[in-house]
Amino acid sequence: MKKIEAIIQPFKFDDVKEAMKAIGIDGMTVSEVRGHGRQKGHKEVYRGQEYEVDLLPKVKLEMVIPDARLEEVVQTLTRSARTGKIGDGKVFVYEVAEAVRIRNDDRGESAL
Amino acid sequence: MTAANQPCSPPDPRGFWDSPADALVRRTAAVDWIASESFRTHLEPVAPEGMALLAVGGFGRRELFPHSDVDLLLLIEKQGVPERLRTAISAFLQSLWDSNLRVSHSVRTPVDCSALDEQNIELSISLLDERYVAGDRGLHAKLGVAMARYLDRQAQALAGHLCRLVRERHAKHGGSIYQLEPNIKESPGGLRDYQLIAWLKRLRDARHGRPGPEDDAPDLGPARDFLFGLRTYLHYRAGRDSNTLTFELQDEIAELFGTGPARWMRRYYSFAGGIALEALRAIETVDEQSNSLLIQFRDWRSRVSNAEFRVSRERVYFRLPQHLEHDPAMALRLFEFVGRHGMHVALETVRRLDRYAAELKRYLSQRPAPLWAAVKAILATPHCALALRAMHETGVLADLFPEWAAAECLVIRDFYHRYTVDEHTLRAIRILEDLGTTKDPAVKHVAGLYAEIDRPDLVTFALLFHDLGKALKEGLAHVGASVELAAAAMERLGTPEEDRRTVVALIEHHLALSSVMNSRDLEDPATAPFIAAKAGTLEGLKQLTVLTFADISAVNPSAMSPWRMEQLWRVYLIGYQELTRELESDRIHESGIEKTGMEEFLEGFPVRYLRKHSAAEIDAHYQLEQRSRERGVAVDIRRESGFYRLTLVARDRPALLSAIAGAMAGFGMNILRAEGFANRRGTILDTFVFEDPHRTLELNPTEVDRLRLTLERVTLGRLDVKELLRSRPAPTPPTKRARISPTVSFDTRVSEVATLIEVVAEDRPGLLYALSSAITSAGANIEVVLIDTRAHKAIDVFYVTSEGKKLDAAQQAGLKEKLLKACAP
Repeated sequence: MKKIEAIIQPFKFDDVKEAMKAIGIDGMTVSEVRGHGRQKGHKEVYRGQEYEVDLLPKVKLEMVIPDARLEEVVQTLTRSARTGKIGDGKVFVYEVAEAVRIRNDDRGESAL
Repeated sequence: MTAANQPCSPPDPRGFWDSPADALVRRTAAVDWIASESFRTHLEPVAPEGMALLAVGGFGRRELFPHSDVDLLLLIEKQGVPERLRTAISAFLQSLWDSNLRVSHSVRTPVDCSALDEQNIELSISLLDERYVAGDRGLHAKLGVAMARYLDRQAQALAGHLCRLVRERHAKHGGSIYQLEPNIKESPGGLRDYQLIAWLKRLRDARHGRPGPEDDAPDLGPARDFLFGLRTYLHYRAGRDSNTLTFELQDEIAELFGTGPARWMRRYYSFAGGIALEALRAIETVDEQSNSLLIQFRDWRSRVSNAEFRVSRERVYFRLPQHLEHDPAMALRLFEFVGRHGMHVALETVRRLDRYAAELKRYLSQRPAPLWAAVKAILATPHCALALRAMHETGVLADLFPEWAAAECLVIRDFYHRYTVDEHTLRAIRILEDLGTTKDPAVKHVAGLYAEIDRPDLVTFALLFHDLGKALKEGLAHVGASVELAAAAMERLGTPEEDRRTVVALIEHHLALSSVMNSRDLEDPATAPFIAAKAGTLEGLKQLTVLTFADISAVNPSAMSPWRMEQLWRVYLIGYQELTRELESDRIHESGIEKTGMEEFLEGFPVRYLRKHSAAEIDAHYQLEQRSRERGVAVDIRRESGFYRLTLVARDRPALLSAIAGAMAGFGMNILRAEGFANRRGTILDTFVFEDPHRTLELNPTEVDRLRLTLERVTLGRLDVKELLRSRPAPTPPTKRARISPTVSFDTRVSEVATLIEVVAEDRPGLLYALSSAITSAGANIEVVLIDTRAHKAIDVFYVTSEGKKLDAAQQAGLKEKLLKACAP
């Protein structure tokens, strides 16, 4: 099993969610986060005052998937989240040692 | 032993609603039998006297639901339980658990029970329902005597604590009966509130030493039976003590009764509403009897009473309610009074409104109903959210707006919404209103925008109607339906055309900023023009931003997260920058070779001009331009509510703005807002909104003509404005506390051809003249000006060029110094 953690642009969230749904990935955890990579922040001016916008709003998605679906899921995710510009985000993949469904104690991929 | 606590499912689950109170009594009797048998088996041999078994809480009331805890009190003579008895108590409890009863027990003496423990108010409350089950009757009688003494002393304090707990519980459970998935026990209007009414009555009777007279309270029996049946069903379906009425269960129950879930939920809200109202009334009675500083303050507030309304203990009463029969408009004045002073309507007043409901309905449903002035007066009050809620609760809102009736108790299911449409709407209005007083740093930007809005009443009206279309159309189609409902209502009320346009635009675009936040790339160059097109004007953008804030915040308590707040503010900033990029904005360009006079007049104005002005206003501007052709200038000055509006059409010339501003300052007028447009032929159309702080124009009507003439002469260069100003006394500087330190900032990025200068300073008469003179004297030309004043703060934006180019760094530095000097009074 693999855990996918993706940081994406907030306005791409609906597209990614729909694309995931289309390939049968319904379960995910979503968080509103702030951060920056190479995109860095920028300054905004309002009424003569400068606002340093150093951390930009992003959406973080987390999902755990069977090993066999890794490539398909990552490709679908990157395709649906891409605009081609700096700030599109990143996808991180982790190994998952075990998954347990609390309700009935299912283990491994059948718990996903 | 049988498992008496297990629900037996009737063949038809609708049977849960057949005499449910009787079913609970029967279940209680069965558990009574089990408990008393077990007491006799395990405890009586060890403690033949000096111990009694009492039922408390719901068990004591004989309202034992299938999976409720069985609350027991083992009453003992004195403190300290011997080991032998302790072992027997364990065996007693174990036998009850073996009978599938979820037992919750405590062991106490009569002295324990008759002391007010502020940390355990729940004990005293549960004892209000105590009932003998088994054991020493003499000991139980002793408890009766001790409790009577205790209540004689402490009933008032206990009632106060009980009300405090209720308020905490309501806050924890959403603070409203109108929740989409309510907890039918703990939410407002739930079973706990029903019990509260009985407890407070018991405490009141205990205080008076006798049962109080039966009042004219409505019969809550049907509401109680409805909730009893419902809770039994929920326990039966969940197999545990679960009291949340989920969407799935709503579907299931509605199907049982052959109706739709929305319709069935209206039945729930109607019963819960009845209970909540009576609970509120009971709490009010306790509040009125409590003696505190608050009461003294409230009585002091009663000085706001007037000829029509009397205030007592923070509640509003009619002085002469019978006048409602011939003067039903008094009801609307009542709600204006409520909104102005922030006080609740007394229940007595609600009854009076009920009594004259027919007259009121007839008055409010007249067609056309020229009631806009009365509605506007309510919307403009500082506590209008309270006034509108009172109108809603008394049914007056639905009489005034039949459109509203369809949204009452309306459930629209989605993942995020927690409240019915009416509750969401009233919450949004309250959140909007709170922006006016909040000190929360997290929302300071939006609160700042709210303070700058000219007509918050129109935003409130737009919020009132923004979701009403949900009763007619699903999904996004509700927006169009809401617009139609609002337009029809405003036509009926006689709302002025300009206000109607504002409200319609706000409702039409009420999801625009949310949609930008969720689905648009904020860095995309197309996003800014999109926001600007939806907002129309800067004022429109501010209105839309505060409306969006209130709308999202009222979806559920955590919907407006700090993350979303940042997103909304970014969207506002993008729109703000686009709407203030005047020079690059689209210009009106008529392609016809043969142009009409009107087309020639409009050619070259920014497109924003058309968005901002109605057809009638554009026509008036055109007429003014026609007049200006003869003498080179035409001036129109008219008084509006609280201020004056000056419209001036003339041929453009250098330093013209400075001359006009100087003339205004020479008359002691204070410019609040100004904007100018120039067409392709070099004709300028300037609008100034100004106040007359010394009431010169009001007290001397001929001064209006003299101001007009002076402006004409100054515009044509026939009068030197410096001469005019020489005789003016210097303005009084503001107090140190009120002083705003001036800032001058330059931005060369926002425009291709000009430099933007933004000046924020303490406002004073003559400021615009001083600033524009400073710019002109530095050899720069003012291309566009946007003047705004909020309280004492002037926010002036100039787009400036020097010989057709942007200002270089040296020019900026020199001008900055001059402008800062000009800001100083």
